[in-house]
Amino acid sequence: MATEDDSYAEFMGKGKSREKTFETEIPIGFNHSALLEPYRTRYFVEDEIIRDCEIEVDPAHRGIERILQGMPIEKANIITERICGICSHSHLFNSVRTAEIGLGIEPPEAAVAVRVLGQELERLHSHLIFIAHACEVLGHETFAYRTFLMREPVMQLLYMISGNRVHYSIPVLGGIRPRTQIPTWKGEKILAAMDELEVELKKFIDRVLSDIMVMARLEGVGLCDRKTAKKYHANGPTARASGIDFDHRSHMHEYEDFDWEMVVLDEGDNAARIKTRALECLVSLDISRQCVERASGDSDVLNRDWETGRMPMQHGYTEVPRGELYHSYALNDQGKIQHYIVRTPTMTNLATMEVACIGDQLTDGVVTLASCDPCLTCCNRFIVVDQSGKERLMTPGDLRGG
Amino acid sequence: MKSLARRRAIHVMVVYTGGCNGCDIEIVAAVFSPVHDIEQYNVMLTWNPREADILLVTGPVTKKIAPALKKIYEAIPEPKVVAAVGACAINGNVYKNLGGDLGSSWELAGPVEKIIPVDAKVPGCPPRPEDIIAAAATAIKILSERSD
Repeated sequence: MATEDDSYAEFMGKGKSREKTFETEIPIGFNHSALLEPYRTRYFVEDEIIRDCEIEVDPAHRGIERILQGMPIEKANIITERICGICSHSHLFNSVRTAEIGLGIEPPEAAVAVRVLGQELERLHSHLIFIAHACEVLGHETFAYRTFLMREPVMQLLYMISGNRVHYSIPVLGGIRPRTQIPTWKGEKILAAMDELEVELKKFIDRVLSDIMVMARLEGVGLCDRKTAKKYHANGPTARASGIDFDHRSHMHEYEDFDWEMVVLDEGDNAARIKTRALECLVSLDISRQCVERASGDSDVLNRDWETGRMPMQHGYTEVPRGELYHSYALNDQGKIQHYIVRTPTMTNLATMEVACIGDQLTDGVVTLASCDPCLTCCNRFIVVDQSGKERLMTPGDLRGG
Repeated sequence: MKSLARRRAIHVMVVYTGGCNGCDIEIVAAVFSPVHDIEQYNVMLTWNPREADILLVTGPVTKKIAPALKKIYEAIPEPKVVAAVGACAINGNVYKNLGGDLGSSWELAGPVEKIIPVDAKVPGCPPRPEDIIAAAATAIKILSERSD
C-alpha cells in the first residue's frame, strides 16, 4: 500500500514538496471570483513567485455513477446529461454511442449528422465561454463581453434545435429525438448564423492577437512542453497546444465523412492554449456547415429496430470540447446499467496545469489554471483517507484495480 | 434615501453548490451577454458577500459545500434576499430524487431550503436567462419592502 501511495504522490508531482516549508500559502476557493466552480487551489509562494501548487477538486462530488447503478439504459442516458451543464451533449452522445456499439444498433445517417452538429455547436459555445472566462480572469472585461455577444447566437441555435439552452437531449438510442430533426428552414438559419459568426470570430481573433497588453500577459507564461504534457496525460486542446497531435475525432466513425483539420500548436503557453481553442472554433464552424447539408430534410432519424439486453463491459471515447471523454458500463439481462464509469478530461488537464504554473507570478497562476478550461462538476472523485491520515483522490484506474 | 440608493445598485452574488454548471452559466450569460444584459436594470454581479444584496444559489448543496454556503449567507449584510435558481436548488433534481439499485445520492445536504432560508425560487433545468431576469426583478421588490 505504501509503495502505491508514493508512486501516486510522485505522479501528482507533490512527493518532495510536501516536506518543504514555504514562506506563504495563498488559498483560493471554494468560492472565488476567478474560479467559477468550487475547487480549492493552494499556492505556495515566495516573493510572488509560485513555488508549489495544490488543487483540491472534490466539493462538487454528487455520486452520479452510483445513482446510475441498476437504472434502465434509456433513463440513465438522460441522467448522464446532468453530469455537466457545459458539455451536456457530449455525455449523452458518448453514453448512447457506447450502448449502440455494444448492442449493435445502427443510427440513420441523418441522425448521426445531427448528433455531430450538436457536438460541434457545443464545442463552439464551450470554447467561446472559455475565451470569455480567460479574458475576464485576465482583467479584460470588454473582450469577455464581446465573446458572450458572439456566444449568444450559438445558444439560440441550440435552443431552436432542441428546445432547451443547456440540456439538449438530442441523441436517444437508435437515432435522435424526432423534435430535434433539422428541416430545411432550420438548416438555412443555422448556415446564415454560421456565416455571421465566422466574420465576427475572425475579427475578434485578429483583435486579441494584435493586442500587445493581453499577449504580453499570455505569451511565455504557464509553459508546459510536450514532455510534461505527455507525462501528465494532458488531452484535448490543452495537449494540442503543447504539440501533441491527437484528436479522438480522427478515428471516430461519426466523423469519417467530414473534412476537417486538426489544430496543433507547439508553444505550450497560455497564449497557445487560447489560440488553439479560437482556431478550433473555426474548424467547428466548418464541420457544422457540412452537418447541416447532411442533416436537413425529412429523412428518417430514428431506428426503432433494437432491443436492450445483456452487454459486456463496453468502452466509449469521444472528443469533447475539453479533451477526451471516457464512458464505460455493462448491461445486465434486463438492460440495466452495471458499473458506470465516467472519466473526464479535466482530471488530467488540471493536474498538468498544477505543474505548469510553478515558477510564474501569482497573478498569472489563476490564468494558467483557467487556461486548461477546467470543468469541475464532472471530475470529482472519491476521497480515501488511509491509516496514515493522508487524503487522496481516487482515479477510475484505482477503482478498477481494486 | 437609503432605499433609493439601494434600488439603484443591486449587487447579486452567485454561489455554486455542486450542480451541473448549467444554471451557473445561464446566470453569467444573463449578466454578461449584451443580449440579455441584466445590468441595464442596475443589477451588478459581485463576488464579495459583504457587498451583496441578493444571493443566487444554484445546485443541490453537497455536504462539503454546506458550511461554506452558511458562512456566505451570514456574511451578507441585512436586508438580504436569497433566490434558489434551478431545479437542483429547489428540490435536488435527479441527484436527490432518482436512483437505481443503490438509491439516490447520499452526498447531498440540500436542497438549499434546509441550509438557509429561501425567499424566491426560479424553476427550470436550467432556467432561461429571461426567467432569471424576472426573478431578479421580483427579488428587488422584496428587497425594497424589507429595507423600508
